[in-house]
Amino acid sequence: MAPSTSFFAPFSPGPTKPFDRKWAAHLLRRTGFGANPAAIDSAVQLGLEDTVEQLFRDLPEEQSQYDQLFETLNCQFANFTDTGTSQAWWLHRMLTTANPFREKLTLFWHGHFATSINKVEDTQLMLRQIGLLRQHAWGDFRTLIHAVAKDAAMIVWLDNESNTKEHPNENFAREVMELFTCGIGNYTEKDVRAAARAFSGWHRDGINFAFNAEVHDTDVKQFLGKRGRFDGGDILDILLAQPATPKFIATKLLKFFATPDPAPEVIAEATDVLNRGHLNIKWFLRELFLSDYFLSDACYRKQVASPIEFLVGTLRTWKVRKPTAEHLDSLSAMGQELLAPPNVKGWDGGRKWINSSTLAGRVEFAEDIANLNAGDNPWSPHLPLEELVPAELNTPQTVVGRLVEIVFQGEIPGATRKEFEEFIVQNEEGPQLETFRDDLGFRQDRTRQLLAIMWGLPEYQAI
Amino acid sequence: MQSTRREFLGYSLAGLSYVSLSQLPSRLLAQAAAESALADQNDHVLVLVELNGGNDGLNTIIPFEDPLYYKLRPSLAISKEAGLKLNDQLRWHPALGPLAKMFDAGQVAIAQGVGYPEPDRSHFRSMEIWHTASTNKIVPSSGWLGKFLDQLPVPGNEVPLSGLALTGTLPQALQAEKVVAPVVSQLDTFASQAESKDLASKLRRKLSTSGGGELQPVDFVRQQSAAVYRAADKLNAATSKYKSSVEYFNNDLANQLKRAAQILSGRLGVRILTVSHGGYDTHSAQADSHQNLLNELATSLASFQQDLAGLGLADKVVVLVYSEFGRRADENASAGTDHGAANCLFVQGAPVKGGVVGQHPSLEKLGDGDMIFHTDFRQIYATLLEGWLGCPAKQVLTGEFPKLPLLKA
Repeated sequence: MAPSTSFFAPFSPGPTKPFDRKWAAHLLRRTGFGANPAAIDSAVQLGLEDTVEQLFRDLPEEQSQYDQLFETLNCQFANFTDTGTSQAWWLHRMLTTANPFREKLTLFWHGHFATSINKVEDTQLMLRQIGLLRQHAWGDFRTLIHAVAKDAAMIVWLDNESNTKEHPNENFAREVMELFTCGIGNYTEKDVRAAARAFSGWHRDGINFAFNAEVHDTDVKQFLGKRGRFDGGDILDILLAQPATPKFIATKLLKFFATPDPAPEVIAEATDVLNRGHLNIKWFLRELFLSDYFLSDACYRKQVASPIEFLVGTLRTWKVRKPTAEHLDSLSAMGQELLAPPNVKGWDGGRKWINSSTLAGRVEFAEDIANLNAGDNPWSPHLPLEELVPAELNTPQTVVGRLVEIVFQGEIPGATRKEFEEFIVQNEEGPQLETFRDDLGFRQDRTRQLLAIMWGLPEYQAI
Repeated sequence: MQSTRREFLGYSLAGLSYVSLSQLPSRLLAQAAAESALADQNDHVLVLVELNGGNDGLNTIIPFEDPLYYKLRPSLAISKEAGLKLNDQLRWHPALGPLAKMFDAGQVAIAQGVGYPEPDRSHFRSMEIWHTASTNKIVPSSGWLGKFLDQLPVPGNEVPLSGLALTGTLPQALQAEKVVAPVVSQLDTFASQAESKDLASKLRRKLSTSGGGELQPVDFVRQQSAAVYRAADKLNAATSKYKSSVEYFNNDLANQLKRAAQILSGRLGVRILTVSHGGYDTHSAQADSHQNLLNELATSLASFQQDLAGLGLADKVVVLVYSEFGRRADENASAGTDHGAANCLFVQGAPVKGGVVGQHPSLEKLGDGDMIFHTDFRQIYATLLEGWLGCPAKQVLTGEFPKLPLLKA
């Protein structure tokens, strides 16, 4: 049991700080995509502990349903490149899955093991890697890293297929240390060369790992102070035993789920927690989500939503469940293409998400979604306003109240709320209170316009 | 209602944003400024005109005295009579009259035989090599001009407009570490939203740029939005003051160059502008399309030069016209040409030392059917960086690249 002054001390709800809609929404935004009113209600109902437990309990979901969908997408979006099809497929899974937390963690690992289809050039390999990350999302990190090292997409991505005893290729050996386990500064160039030799012959045969004994270097290696006839698996185990590794992984998890700039004391304690759980991700994240620190101002609304969080969060909250080619364009305009991280370091994230071009991308997306209408094509997405904003709401105060609740969980300054209320009843001729009250069409048109503004506001970019 | 988004986008795309400068302690900022290699700025502008698809250099600057030319180009050759006189060995393509005129006035330098080792014939890869100034398989994340932009001092919290793309998306050449160069789409969409009658635009601007608390990261996003709007206003103001008697033709390239002139007339400290002209991938029935392309190119460049002179900017601007590669020496069976290697390029402007630099590459000794380069394109870059932009070439380029006599002393 951690001391009660620690950051990871369990959150204990009380009269001054109950686990209410505010904290439930916070937990949902970070562990999933967006937080819709119904989900917030049910989380409050369940309480913190059960809500967190539920994150790790997959609801049944048929893999075959997604596999079939891939076929459908292939036909539906005939003009898609293969890359586009795969991106749309994953996006659709994020939009529809009953287990958004698993998908969110998969996205985290995708950023960690940042492999790009631009080099791998094979959608099957890419989606297999994503499947692997999904499968091990909250398992032992040890299992995950051993699996990733033998993943065909990774072997192509970091050139290990050309790593032989005769001609060692250091790409994977270097990045497995610099970016996947212990981080820079915790090894020397000699260690890189030794590790490269240990991974020689770790090749692939089509989509599967294939050990090529003929080109594997079986000689003795000196690696991080140890000597032996190491192979790749030994190297991974030595890396996992480095004190820098749990610190590196804990920091990354904190930055993704809790706050972009965790204090050194928090990192130190998080490292302890990850160590105590023997690098088990579920153990670590459960401790984090239940902690006083996670449910505090230090983490609250401290993240800039990534383009995926922004887009999928908005679409899921508003029950738009169909991926379109435009969504992929939007993600690209906002600076995050699925399956195509910019380099092996993954996305920088945080404030780097925001610049002149990406802000334009966010506003453009907001306009697109607000103006979605049901077409004749059953595949065309639709914004079901009527589901979330009941037709009975017919005053500017009630409609804006509802929108502010859904979009901002109620957290918007009073002056801004006033601006919304004025805007929503106006057209170019001035306020139209009666039309607003009597004409659902007018009301919905104004609601769409206001939503397009709300989703583009600075307040909405922080989760 | 449709104007809402277009207006906002116009604004957004105009801004340049820096990594959270407001968050850095002022001491660090001062230090960064002091360390900037280019703290003492000149006001020289470089405009890149990219000919997309691979311009056929052999039919642009024509070695009309070489009998091999007519053998290689049985149907596409431009006859000695049709070509416009350049010198004793060379003719201009007949559509390049306005460019020839500027050349005669000493405002155009032609570099011949430009390329790089082990030429790559993929549009994408070759363009990447030109944009990053690197043939390395590990592609640098910054473009060559991005590296230049990264060295300019950053004026406080304001959005600097040092590099602007008039192309549809941000070219790789402008990718930088510190700055995000904006893409200006249509200057016409830069109507001032402060005065806009559109309610949504007005409200979006108001709520995106003012009010709110000090909470991070919301305040950071608000600062960024405000900077984007302010930058847009600056560009808009510059455009509205632009007056010119020069009539541009109405085509995509001419429109981009006209916008470039409008922006430059505002004297906002712009150093780099990029424009592009597509359609040069002439694999079949090349004669007519190439004629049209070169006609658009020459007339647009001439209008731009005339406009700059009228605006009093002729001494401040140099234009580089280039393409990712030349085309195969011999024509193909479809009266077109396939992807090649070495090519010619132009450097234009009043500061340019007019003339022809380098020999026309041999048509006898070819490499894989293509003309072989003798001048590395990075020699052009080195010349422009040091001789024009005032930036040591080593800050941008890896390796030594001898400069060329393209600029007046």
